[in-house]
Order: sequence, then structure tokens, then C-alpha cells
Amino acid sequence: MWNTVFPYLLSGISVGGQYALIAIGYTMVYGILRLINFAHGDVFMVAGIIMIYISASGMPLYVCIPLVILFTALIGFLIERVAYKPLRSAPRMSVMISAIGVSYTLQNLVLYITGGLNKQYPTIPWISDSVTIGPATTKIVTVVTPFLTIFLVVALVLLINKTKIGMAMRAVSKDFETSQLMGININSVISTTFVIGSFLAGVGSILYFTNYNTVIQTSGAMPGLKAFVAAVFGGIGSIPGAVIGAFIIGIVENIIKGMDVILFKSGVIARPLGLATFSDAFTFALLIIILVVKPTGLFGEKATDKV
Amino acid sequence: MKEPVLEIRHLTMQFGGVVAVNDLNMHIDEGEIVALIGPNGAGKTTAFNCVTSVYEPTNGAVIFRGMPIARNHPSGRMRKFYAGKEIDAFSGHVVHNTPDKITELGIARTFQNIRLFKGMTAFENVLTAMHLRRRSNVFTQMLHLNGQEEAAMRKETDRLLEIVGLTDVKDEMATSLPYGKQRLLEIARALATKPALLLLDEPAAGMNPQETEELSAFIRRIKEQFSLTVLVIEHHMNLVMDISDRIYVIDFGKLIAEGTPEEIQQNPAVIEAYLGGDVD
Amino acid sequence: MQKQGKKSISGATWVSLCLIVLVYVLVFIAEQVLPPTSMLFTVLKKGATYALIAVSMNLLNGFTGIFSLGQAGFMLIGAYVYAVFTIPLSQRMSVYQYYDGGIVQFTLPIFVAMILAGLVAAFFAFLIGLPVLRLKSDYLAIATLGFAEIVRAVFQWDKLGPLTNGSNMLRMFPNFNNFNLTDAEGHVTVYLSTLIPFLISGVCIALIVLLIHSGYGRALQAIRDDEIAAEAMGINLFHHKELSFCISSFFAGVGGAMLAMYQTTVQAKSFTSAMTYEILLIVVIGGIGSVTGSVISSFLFVACSEWWLRFLDEKQMIGTFEVPLLRNGFRLVVFSVVIMIVVLFFRRGIMGTKELPDLFRKRKGART
Repeated sequence: MWNTVFPYLLSGISVGGQYALIAIGYTMVYGILRLINFAHGDVFMVAGIIMIYISASGMPLYVCIPLVILFTALIGFLIERVAYKPLRSAPRMSVMISAIGVSYTLQNLVLYITGGLNKQYPTIPWISDSVTIGPATTKIVTVVTPFLTIFLVVALVLLINKTKIGMAMRAVSKDFETSQLMGININSVISTTFVIGSFLAGVGSILYFTNYNTVIQTSGAMPGLKAFVAAVFGGIGSIPGAVIGAFIIGIVENIIKGMDVILFKSGVIARPLGLATFSDAFTFALLIIILVVKPTGLFGEKATDKV
Repeated sequence: MKEPVLEIRHLTMQFGGVVAVNDLNMHIDEGEIVALIGPNGAGKTTAFNCVTSVYEPTNGAVIFRGMPIARNHPSGRMRKFYAGKEIDAFSGHVVHNTPDKITELGIARTFQNIRLFKGMTAFENVLTAMHLRRRSNVFTQMLHLNGQEEAAMRKETDRLLEIVGLTDVKDEMATSLPYGKQRLLEIARALATKPALLLLDEPAAGMNPQETEELSAFIRRIKEQFSLTVLVIEHHMNLVMDISDRIYVIDFGKLIAEGTPEEIQQNPAVIEAYLGGDVD
Repeated sequence: MQKQGKKSISGATWVSLCLIVLVYVLVFIAEQVLPPTSMLFTVLKKGATYALIAVSMNLLNGFTGIFSLGQAGFMLIGAYVYAVFTIPLSQRMSVYQYYDGGIVQFTLPIFVAMILAGLVAAFFAFLIGLPVLRLKSDYLAIATLGFAEIVRAVFQWDKLGPLTNGSNMLRMFPNFNNFNLTDAEGHVTVYLSTLIPFLISGVCIALIVLLIHSGYGRALQAIRDDEIAAEAMGINLFHHKELSFCISSFFAGVGGAMLAMYQTTVQAKSFTSAMTYEILLIVVIGGIGSVTGSVISSFLFVACSEWWLRFLDEKQMIGTFEVPLLRNGFRLVVFSVVIMIVVLFFRRGIMGTKELPDLFRKRKGART
């Protein structure tokens, strides 16, 4: 039993870590702008495409990786400046539509550049190597991901709690208008948020695509949505919440993917049930249940409306 | 003794540690015009919102024509923080309504910060409020088979607009009207729901002196015409003293005085609450 | 029929109605005269389909103020219900080749199947609406998006194969060409393959317009304008939102059935969230809160993507000069840029909240 479950558990933890890196971007942006940044998943995908094109130019990897992360952060910054900043006083629906427009634009741009073909992600030495842990054989990246994720999250939490810009971020997420009156430069705080979110999505994309090998223009949509669900699950606006939510979703999703095999090998069922189809659907069912039962998520704070 | 139209018993509303309404007791009899006054932030609108079920009160009961429309007792965190007395007075059957249910029962209201339907004309604003009293269902309406009912409602809307004196601007967008007329339109819209009790939240705010003067006659007139009972929150003391049969004064959520306009004008506690005699 | 107090039909409305009839006549004539392979008909058929779906989405987003992103899910349900119940019995063995011909062993007439498509979609909307419609704006958006993804997964589930054909394609069901009248030898005598979809779509949109102009429609707009005030006027938020959601989904389901007919095949995996986004963008371009806008922008959108802007996807030579950038996918890039410009700088879209009759009316203020 354990031997069949373990490989799925392991890849679940790994995928969970990758989702966590994306989910932080969602949760931080939502915390500050109350905006679901629908384009965030696509930023993650674009990071993958950039890696492919930069590495194809023959540059060594130790140059490529920082460049990818830098460019991804830059894209996040530009998206905010171009598509969200002009709509700061517009109704929320307009901003959400703009986010959807950005997502559409990024996907179409990548479609144009790649010709709509699956692009092979470059092999990164060492982390692409195979390793055997107990009953499972996997890539080293699977093992590295959770540790790297935790490290980055700790660093981020320190940044938010100990630095001046972090303090400004917390202030803005508590009360947008008042912090503006208190002399906080809203725009720079928002830009920083997008840069950090995209930076983490860039790191996440390297880990994720090393595991999945190919990138296409729609590659970001699903991980993006799942990461968002993770953020809601953990209580949107809460970074630890997003991380825990992401790990839970990653693990359960992979267990469901392997459920047929697990049940079959343990003799519960004689024929496969095709449950793997539901690995994505599960995430969204969880989302709807969470929203209905506890809309504030695991660690979210309650907001009240004034009449 | 006749049953009061509205009775508020030990009403308490707490937001976390803040007590917005504290153990408020009130009653309004049939056909009365009662005013609820108090300095800014005294909890008047919060009391309104408890009556109309926008908020669930922390403790207490609201009774409309003998029927409890809101009843609650502090629970969970609120119980720990609860600042009032009689913590278990209402621990029996708990009633929670939604605002639309309250309106259906016959309590209509206006808003302090005018809330008209932005995308509609004055006429449509009033017509929409009659939706509640429709008999036809969605299919007959979709196929426009309810011509008679629709025609009657349009006629009634015209009549209401005439009563409040807005016939000449009925096809203007509601939000493009001057402030005073928007207030009147809100009253017309409230009347369209066929209420027995009308709650007016600062109806004179933003009106010029002449309009305010006309307003007292207007409120009295609609009270007679629609056989209403009226509860009004207002800051214009002239208006309050002119129209009210009785006045309740609250400060920091607590009832500090109650009585006829004459009694209230003499009341030292009221004069103190109003910065040493703003009442003239 | 004119009763006292009832709003009379204005001159502008008459002009608009005449204009619409004229369009139908033109479509009919064009279909008899032009070769049926003309690109025009592709655009008109798909445009009529998208117009219905866009208007149904506008009913939610523009007129009720519910930001729902579940449209693709309801279209999928509609398309599948239509297809499953209309594939001729003789073809079932080949369509459901992995499932022994499937479990549905009867067929329904085309129009019955279309209405059923709408009803099933509305039923699902009712169920999903129970929990979801109590949520606030952006949570609602993401929950409906999630619902659409769940539907997509469920319909591809192997165990449902006897009903849905699993992840395989459904085909061989009647499509728009079946509306053409033929003589005994199978030659087409009267072409109706564009006119009928126009009529279906037109009737459905007319029903939505009638709803918008009824008491319920005003109640929905009141909810959009101010939920708190609407509730204080006795409008039950949940019931009215649920109603709007079901009606919108009904027509999205019918639209899905039309899309199935247009495509001639149906496969669950093509009903992605990108499809919903596309429809949302059509609504935005047309103007959120304008039925006319949604219709116009549907046809524009389809015409551009299927016809007028196709040249952007191919190499073009001007003399010996090859125009740079033009290759597969460039059309979509141009498209995206246009959409972003509309979203950022022309937020009112083509029509704002105006409707067709408003164009023939004198300016406000002069109105008596």
C-alpha cells in the first residue's frame, strides 16, 4: 500500500510547492488590490517560454536562469503599469475584465511566437537527474522543490514583517485609502507586489516545466487556476494560507491521479474507474465547497460592508 | 391598550467591542410620527438597520404589529464582549429576516446617503419598487401578458410621482435630479411598496430651507393620505419639533430622553448632549 | 390593444423593427443568390450563434450585475444534450463505437432537442446557483469558472461514455444544412441553413429583450444598480439572481446546441475557459448592458476572426516586398491588442448602454 501511494505523495508535495510559488502572487495581489489577477498563470507560462528562447541562444544556464527570473519580474511590473494602473478608480468588474484581456493577449502572443507548437523545455543538469527514494524513482527537482519553496516563503515573510516596504504592503492591504493619506507611495507598493509575485512565478516555472518538459500557450491556465484555488483555500491575502493550501491541493490532486492504480493494486477494485479525469475537477469542487462553507478560507480575515 | 405598530425591546448592536446601539427600548403607535434624534454617530442609522434586518442585532427584539421580525441573543465571541444587561432575555426562538421580507411585511425605508437606482429614470425607480406587489409570474411577464397589471402599476406610479411633485421630471435619470428631489423620489419609491410603517433616514439632509419647510407639510400629508405611521431620523430641529408627536433621543447608543417636543426641549440631558443647547 | 397608462410603442422602435426585418429579408435573398460556400454564410451562422450566447451572458453581467464565468460549461451541456438526442439511430453504432452504440436508443426532433438542451443547462444552473450565487463578485466569477471546468471533466469521464461518448467526438447529428429544403433527388430547392439559425437566435434574443423590459427585468437592473436598495424595496436578491442565472443558462444551452450544429461535431475538451473569455470580451466590446451592442460585436468579432483578418495569418507580398510579421497567429495578436485598447480606453464599448431604438431617437432632454 505505502509503496504504491508514496510516489504519488512525493510528486504531490513537489507540485504543491510549485503551486505555492504561483499562489503567493495571487494572494499578495488580491490582498492589496482586491483583484484576481487572471493573467498570473500566463506570466508563469511566459516565464517558461522565455527560458526556452534564452537557452536556445546558447547562453550558459547560470546566465539563463537569472535572466528568466529578471524578465518575468519585469513582465509582471509592465502588466500592472499598462493594464491595471489606468483602471485604479474604475469598477472592479472592469479591472477583472482587463486581467482577462491580458491573459488572452499573453496566450495569443505566445501562440504567434511559437506557432502553437509544444516547445521542449531545456534540460537543466543536476535537477533533471533521476534519484531513487525508497520505492519511488523521480527527478531531483521533485525533492528540491518543497525545500526551495519553504526557503523562499520564509524569506518573503521576513521581508514583509521586517522591512519598510513590507510594512507599507501590510498597511496598504489593510486600508488602501488611509495608507495613501499617510504618505505611502501606493504605486511603488503595488509594483513591488507584482514584481515579487512574478519573481516567484518565474522560479516556480523553472521547477514546474523541468518536471513537465514541454510548454505551450495554454500551459499556464491550469496551474494558474489551481494556484488561485489554493490561495482561496488558505484564505486569500494570507501567505502561509496560500502555501498550505497549495500543498494540500498538490497532494490530493496527485493521489486522485493515482487512485485507480492504488485501489487496483490494493485489490479494492478489479477494473480502473477512470478517476484520473477528476484530478482537475476535484480542485474546483474543493473551491466551491470552501467558498460556500467558509468563504474566508483557512486563515482569511472577515470583511464587513457598510450600509 | 392598543398594540403598538413597532416595538423595540432591549435592542443592542455591537460590532466587535464597539456598542453602536445599547439596550434601546422604543414603541411607536398607530398613526404617530416619531422622531429619533441624537448627535452624529449616536447609533440612529444602526437602529434603523436592525429594524430592517440589514444587521442582525446582537441582542434584543424588534416586534412589528405583534409579530417578532428580529430577535436575537449574543452568542460566541459576542457573548464574551456583550456590554448590555439581560444577556439571556431573548434566548428563545431566534428570528432572522432578510430586508426584502421586512419590506414585504410593510416597513419601507429611505437611506441617509441616497441609494436610488442609478441606471433608471425617476419613473422606473418608483415602478421597480412595485415589483414586490406583483401577482404575475416571470413567464407571463416575459411574454408581456400582464398588460392590465402593468398598466395599473404605471398609473399608480404616475399618481405617486404627482403626489411628491416630480411629474415634470419623471423621465429624467434619477441621479441627475437635484438633491432635494432625489430625497422626494426616495420617499415615493418607498411608498410604492405599500408600507404601513415608513422609516425616513434624514429626509431633509441636503435640502434648502424652503424645501425643508415644505417637507414637514409633505410628511404630514402623506401620513394622512396613505394612513402611515412614520419614524424619522433627522438633524433639522425645526422639522423635528414641527412634525413629531413624540421624540426619542439617543447618545452613544443609549436612550437619554423620551417625550413630546416640549418636554424634550426642556430636558437638560438633551441640551447637554447637543453641545449646550443647539436646540432653539 | 393599447391600454391606458401603458407605454406605447414609439416610432424609433418601429424603425428598429423594420430594420431587423430587412436584415432577415436580405439574409434570405443572399442565401438564394450567393454560392453556399461563401465565407459570408460561415460568418452569419457563427455570428448568430455567438450573438445569442453573448446576449445571454450580458443578461447576467450587464443587466443583473453578476460576474459569471460559467458560460462555456452551460454551452457544453447544451451542445451535448442536443447532440446525444439527435444522432440518428443508424449512426449510433459508428459514433459510439467504443460503447456499443451508447445507451440512448431514440432520437428527438431537432427543436425539441434544442429546448431540452436549454432546460438541462438551466437545471444545472439552478443547482450550481444554490451555493454559488450567495458569493460576492469575484468569488462568484472564480466559482462559476470552476464549475465549467468540472463539467468539462465530468463529460469526458470514461464511465459516462455510453451517454457522452467519453472523450471521443460526437458527430453525425443534424446540422444547419438539414434546414435546407430539398426536392426528391436531394437537390436543394430553398436555402434556409442561415435563415433558420437567424430566426432561432432572433426569437431567443427577443425573449431576453422582453424579459429585460418587464417588471422582472427592472428588478434585475435594480439589483445591479444597488443591491442594498433593491433589497430594501422588497426584491429578494437570491431568488432574482437565481432566476437570471437560470434564464441566462437556458439560452447559453440553446446557444451551445446551435454551436454544435455550426461545428457539426462536439467534443468536451474544446469548451475551455478561453471560450468563456472570448464571449466575455465580445460583450465588453459591444458594451456591457447593451443587447444591440452584444449582437453587433458578435458579428464583427466572428467576421474579423473568420474572414476579414484572415490575411494577417498568411504571408502577403506587395510586389516583391514581403510584409513583415504576417504569419500564423498574427491575427490573434492584433485582436488582443484591439481588445486591450477597448478595455482600457473605450470602456463603454461600441454601444455603451444604448439600444437600437435609441439611435433613432432624438437626444435626451428633447425627449418628452
